[in-house]
Amino acid sequence: MKKVRKISFTAAASVIVVSSALIVASMAQAKPPRSETQVAQERAALMTAVAKGDDLWHSAKLGNNGLACANCHPDGSASNVHTWPKFQTNLGKVGTLREMINWCIAVPMQGRILESDSEEMIAMEAYATYTHRGVAIAPAKDEQHPAVPVVSGPGYPRH
Amino acid sequence: MKKISRRQFLGMTTKAGAATMFAGIFAPSASSMLGLGGVAEAATKKIKPFNFAVLTDAHLYDIADHKFDHILEKAVADVNSIKPRPDFVLYAGDLGQSGKKAELVKGKKILDKLKMPYKIIPGEHDYYLDMGKAWRKLFGDEHWSFNHNGVHFIGMNSILVPDFWTLKKLTPKERMHMMEELECHNCGAWGVGEKQLNWLARDVKRVSPDTPVVIMTHSPLWDYYPRWNFQTYDAPEIREILRKFDKVISIHGHVHQVVYNEIDNMRSCGLLSTSWPWPYPPVELEYPHIKQRRADPGDFEDGLGGHDIALNADFDAIVHWREFSDLLPDNIKKGLKV
Repeated sequence: MKKVRKISFTAAASVIVVSSALIVASMAQAKPPRSETQVAQERAALMTAVAKGDDLWHSAKLGNNGLACANCHPDGSASNVHTWPKFQTNLGKVGTLREMINWCIAVPMQGRILESDSEEMIAMEAYATYTHRGVAIAPAKDEQHPAVPVVSGPGYPRH
Repeated sequence: MKKISRRQFLGMTTKAGAATMFAGIFAPSASSMLGLGGVAEAATKKIKPFNFAVLTDAHLYDIADHKFDHILEKAVADVNSIKPRPDFVLYAGDLGQSGKKAELVKGKKILDKLKMPYKIIPGEHDYYLDMGKAWRKLFGDEHWSFNHNGVHFIGMNSILVPDFWTLKKLTPKERMHMMEELECHNCGAWGVGEKQLNWLARDVKRVSPDTPVVIMTHSPLWDYYPRWNFQTYDAPEIREILRKFDKVISIHGHVHQVVYNEIDNMRSCGLLSTSWPWPYPPVELEYPHIKQRRADPGDFEDGLGGHDIALNADFDAIVHWREFSDLLPDNIKKGLKV
């Protein structure tokens, strides 16, 4: 018994030594961490996209009958961003949030659809997603979900 | 809501101040003097039974042959078909979308097809281009009251905000454009304002507490979701003025959905629009079983409709949300007793 214990202790010790060596090695090989400035810039880039998406979301210019996305989806509500991709009856297939945004532009708003990977579409997706931050991903969940509650202001850092 | 919200609490704490402002108005009612607390137990005056219809939130655009024109026309035809025929129709605001005279003229033309008289109040979409000038020219006073078969009806303009445009040097069009956004975060909270509060106090002064009262505003007279102005900031004062009545039924537009609440002697019903349904905001409903199902965006009439409200001799109201589609749960399909 004593011997076994001794062996397992030795084994455990060598595991620790090996893994410590690995951590040191990987730290030595890793890129230096991004600077605070860099992180702030990347964050600001996202928020610029969110703000652009917010403006588009509230713009009647995407459609031709005066309607904007926000008419039916204030604060991004009921876009259910956490449920996509899913089978959507109006799309008639498993589709994405971007496809649904384009369906809304084309059908209820009678407008011209956006390129799926255009800056505008990515901005709209950024806005809709940001208004649902923290909501658990729930593919195909079949109920309307509100966006994150907003007390005042635009609901996100905007300059 | 039965729970005391922050605003209700503020309303209570400022009541003493308000009473000084409107001297005499807040004299304790018979029920509070007797210490009854809740809804007064006195029997409500008997009324001659009748029904009336309500429409709201057409949001008409100055675009020819717009889909919302047809939905309002359908709602008007639906009201004309109600049997027994409603004695009159109430319209709870937002006839137009951008406050343009052309929108309101178009709306009036459609509403004039109603086979019964109608009374109307403004919504923010009717108002902030010219501060209600065109609306008043077409429809008259922004607040009013009348008696019908023993019921006292009140209509008020609840979408007034403090001036946010002068300092920012906004044009009327810019002001209107900001107000058009439900989540406008620079426009401030809506209310009826001091002048209308004084008018209301005078109006109901000689109305006996056992008189049934129906009040119509564009926004709810309770704190539902202030972010979207699903509120009226001076609703606590309105409720206090109307507190002497046995029962008050409040009907309001703006929310574009079925929603219900009770505070003290007031029962509030949210109304369907004839434009688009709004999602339920991120708050818990006090009466979650009084709620419509989610609408299909592919069906432009889903979640829309009009209303028929029938009152019996004891002022029990049966509120019928006459939804064009089938989104009402079974418990309110045949009407809600209010």
